[in-house]
Amino acid sequence: MEILRYVAVDDVGNMINPLLVHGQIHGGIAQGMGQALEEEMLYGEGGQPLNASFMHYALPKANRLPRFELLHTTTPTDVNPLGAKGVGEAGTIGSTPAVVNAVLDALSPFGITHIDMPLRPERVWRAIAEKRA
Amino acid sequence: MIPASFDYVRPQSLEDALARLGEHGDDARVLAGGHSLLPVMKARLADPGVLVDIAGIEGLSGISESEDGITIGAMTTHAEIESSDIVQGRCRSLAEAAAAIGDVQVRNRGTLGGSLAHADPAADYPAVVLAANAEITVTGADGERVVAADDFFTGTYETALGAGEILTSVRIRSSAARGSSAYLKAAQQASGFAVCGVAARLALDADGAVERIRVGVTGVAASAYRATSVEDALTGAAPSAESIRKAAATAGEGVDALDDFYAGADFRRHLAGVYAARAIGKAWIRASGK
Repeated sequence: MEILRYVAVDDVGNMINPLLVHGQIHGGIAQGMGQALEEEMLYGEGGQPLNASFMHYALPKANRLPRFELLHTTTPTDVNPLGAKGVGEAGTIGSTPAVVNAVLDALSPFGITHIDMPLRPERVWRAIAEKRA
Repeated sequence: MIPASFDYVRPQSLEDALARLGEHGDDARVLAGGHSLLPVMKARLADPGVLVDIAGIEGLSGISESEDGITIGAMTTHAEIESSDIVQGRCRSLAEAAAAIGDVQVRNRGTLGGSLAHADPAADYPAVVLAANAEITVTGADGERVVAADDFFTGTYETALGAGEILTSVRIRSSAARGSSAYLKAAQQASGFAVCGVAARLALDADGAVERIRVGVTGVAASAYRATSVEDALTGAAPSAESIRKAAATAGEGVDALDDFYAGADFRRHLAGVYAARAIGKAWIRASGK
């Protein structure tokens, strides 16, 4: 699975420090993608964690992420004198459903409308195999 | 995450290292790059009393070429193999496997010999040395012996290395004039280890038919294996994308595949077929200059 392109449009009001804003959005998108594609805490019988180290628990890493294209609209808020809005979670909130929906769109020829997150390769393969059976 | 206490020795000669191993017996382990052994010790899955570090021994590292092949010292790092023009020219799949291991830090420290001796069922090199019909030289108190790659991997973390022996070098014949190889893997998302890795190496005759082919599969079963059904199906005829796909589909057939939360057994068998087709196809395209 490869993400070919990722475009995010955010309105954070007036940007005081654009570099910091972009960094926050990049990190948020990555975190959301991790939830969509990789991150999952697994437990064995009796509640024993199965992937309790980063050798086993997959985090999104830069070498598996696409370049992020960031665009903005600017609507200053009037509730503070700077006209700036919070940006901490902006990237995360959009990226999880965007990525899942992109995968489901790619799988639409198979009639697949839902796969539980994270969409690890095996789950995608099983969903396709079920529809083909 | 903290290993049990152990002693550490750093012999300066192979003879001294072998003597130390003889002296401590089962209580000693050879330390090469440490990128397999130390994590296992930190998890307390191994608790050797003595580590015999072979990094100080001259002559165990480096890549040399002769007319018909290359010899790679056991202490040669993945980074050295990955970036070696000699390896890329003589056995491209080995360079590809080295480049696919871990991350930059791991490749700068981890070694060919260390990885082979550790024999992790999800390591990358085993597929390549099987496909390349490599000769693995091990040295013990009684001198050197050569083990064919086919006979080297005997089980999960188990090899033909005897007590007190050190893996010292690996010899691989050059690709044929009309031959090439490729290694491809599906990596586990967290660790980067192979959920399925396939190395293919083939030689074509003057008419473009497959003169010989070897296919090594790692990550799928308890230890790396050769997909002989695939090799047999493709030998003797000129391949096509269709014949490769059809033959490769049997790469995981009947295999007692690993089954864990990374990938179920049936998914691994499926991946073996898919990656065998891709690796063979890539090697074929390289070999035929297409």
